[in-house]
Amino acid sequence: MANTKYKFNPDSLSFDKIRLGVKAILLRSLAYLIGSIIIAAVLNFMFGLFFDSPREKALKREIEQLTLQYNLIHREMGNLEKVIDHLQETDDNLYRTIFGAEPIQATQRQAGIGGINRYDDLEGFNNSKLVIETAKELDKIRKKVYVQSKSFDELIMLATEKEDMLRSIPAIIPISTKDLTRIASGFGLRIHPVYKISKLHAGMDFTAPLGTEVYASGDGTIESVLSSKRGMGNYIVINHGFGYSSLYAHLESFNVKEGRKVKRGDIIGYVGNTGMSVAPHLHYEIKLNGVNVDPVNYFFNDLSPAEYEKMIEIASKTGQSFD
Amino acid sequence: MSSRKYFLDLSDLQYKRVRLPWKNKLIRFTIGSLVCVAVTLLYTAIINDMLGSPKEKVLSQEIESLKLEYSLMGREIDNSVRILDDLEQSDGNRYRPILDMDSIPSSIRNMGVGGINRYDELEGYDNSSLMLSFRAKVEEIRNRTTVQFESFKAIEERKNEWKREMEYLPMISPVNVIYRLGDGMKFREKHPVLGTPQWHHGQDFSTPYGTKVYATGSGKVIEAGWNSGYGNCIVIDHGYGYRSTYGHLSKISVSVGLNVKRGDLIALSGSTGTSTGPHLHYQIDLFGQHKNPLYYFNNDLTEDEYFEMIQTLTAQSKFR
Repeated sequence: MANTKYKFNPDSLSFDKIRLGVKAILLRSLAYLIGSIIIAAVLNFMFGLFFDSPREKALKREIEQLTLQYNLIHREMGNLEKVIDHLQETDDNLYRTIFGAEPIQATQRQAGIGGINRYDDLEGFNNSKLVIETAKELDKIRKKVYVQSKSFDELIMLATEKEDMLRSIPAIIPISTKDLTRIASGFGLRIHPVYKISKLHAGMDFTAPLGTEVYASGDGTIESVLSSKRGMGNYIVINHGFGYSSLYAHLESFNVKEGRKVKRGDIIGYVGNTGMSVAPHLHYEIKLNGVNVDPVNYFFNDLSPAEYEKMIEIASKTGQSFD
Repeated sequence: MSSRKYFLDLSDLQYKRVRLPWKNKLIRFTIGSLVCVAVTLLYTAIINDMLGSPKEKVLSQEIESLKLEYSLMGREIDNSVRILDDLEQSDGNRYRPILDMDSIPSSIRNMGVGGINRYDELEGYDNSSLMLSFRAKVEEIRNRTTVQFESFKAIEERKNEWKREMEYLPMISPVNVIYRLGDGMKFREKHPVLGTPQWHHGQDFSTPYGTKVYATGSGKVIEAGWNSGYGNCIVIDHGYGYRSTYGHLSKISVSVGLNVKRGDLIALSGSTGTSTGPHLHYQIDLFGQHKNPLYYFNNDLTEDEYFEMIQTLTAQSKFR
């Protein structure tokens, strides 16, 4: 056994065989393991100082591109935002000169409808989540209450057998208007575009291109279909009964004849620029027992409460009318 | 000393020190090193696979924060889109109908979006879709902004024209609204003075002698003086093909070439020319064609309102 190794024992002055116990072997291998891990870590670290792993390379490339694109987009958006700001100013100026009134600010214009950032102002606080939830809950309740009150109203109406009246009262906007952007001038004292003095504007004006469909706002009978080159131009009067009648003026052409019965939503004519009118628009009036009333109070059928509020705000501005 | 190792030399039965030749030592060292490297690689592989290297972590974190920046910018972009939506609504629903301009078709508004893939350089990244969507959005905004800018420019021009037209066309009553309307535009079997059948091309106002006559629209005086049948007569050129004529005046207070504004006092009525009594003859021509003046103004003012209007219209300056 040439491999057998001996150790000199100075106490007994003899050579003893070297025998390793299990414990010693374990200790040794542990030492080897730890040593190798340390060396591995050191080497890994050194290697990392000078070279990147493929994954790191990919990540760096990703970051580089992301940063590049970010800067690019950011710069571009900066420029575009400036242009858009300018456009907003132009919009406001156009509004001022054409409608003779202060425009509703863009943020306000968005309010209530769409509702993307309805709760924006509540964000960023410690309890913002709670507050937002509460606000949402409140909104829900408010809506429910509105629906509830509406159904109660309807119940009462039904109970008093006024179904017919409900159908007959002019209660919708006589023109399709997305986001209510077509409302141009409300009821009340408005600057006359030609006379430049305040005059009672007995109805509401809606801007719309020539030929836009005009709807009957309630069930009724066509009382008169008149063509004139003065005043109201081509206009239609619908008698709704119950003391109500509505008038649609400056029409381009008619779709109904005198004496015909119409239902709410029927197309009765098309927007025009006839009579004393400075621009194509629809002039809409509601009369209750022969007296002109503010139509804004009668558009309750097809509007949400928020839209209704917004409409009242638009209509109450004292701008100029178009006839 | 105790670490010295010995072995039993069987040839002479003596314990001798173990001495390794340098070659053996080298081999041992090499093997050791190789094992070390192998173990290193093994560890690295395991650690990187399970946890990722620290550097990777730092880089990933950086990417996350970049993504956050992107999402912040996304909000900004969304805001711009909202404003643009609003402006386009305003453009299409308010201004263009009022100014009688055709609305811009959506095909033009969204022109150039979704065409050829121009962002090849963005392919092959983990966040390719993120960057692509942002670039596309910005592109869309730029296109829409450009279209909107051009549109507003056109509207602005048309608006000025519209304003001017509204100021220049003859659109008010030339005299106080209380006066009775005389003969309108019609065929008269018998002319009150001449006695022959002929057309009456204007509108008469039965005004007492010396009633104030106002310009019904802004324009330039092209005739002021005696004109046979019309007597003392003023003709104002309003542009856009429109001319208004005021006849049988007793006193003319403007001269040819003067620019007048709507509401300016231009004359006093009378009974000059072929006239049986004091009245104002008011006539509107469009490109030489006689038009019914009644179609150009509304009798919807009270006397007070009429004079308030005259005052408002001429508040800044009279003639110009």
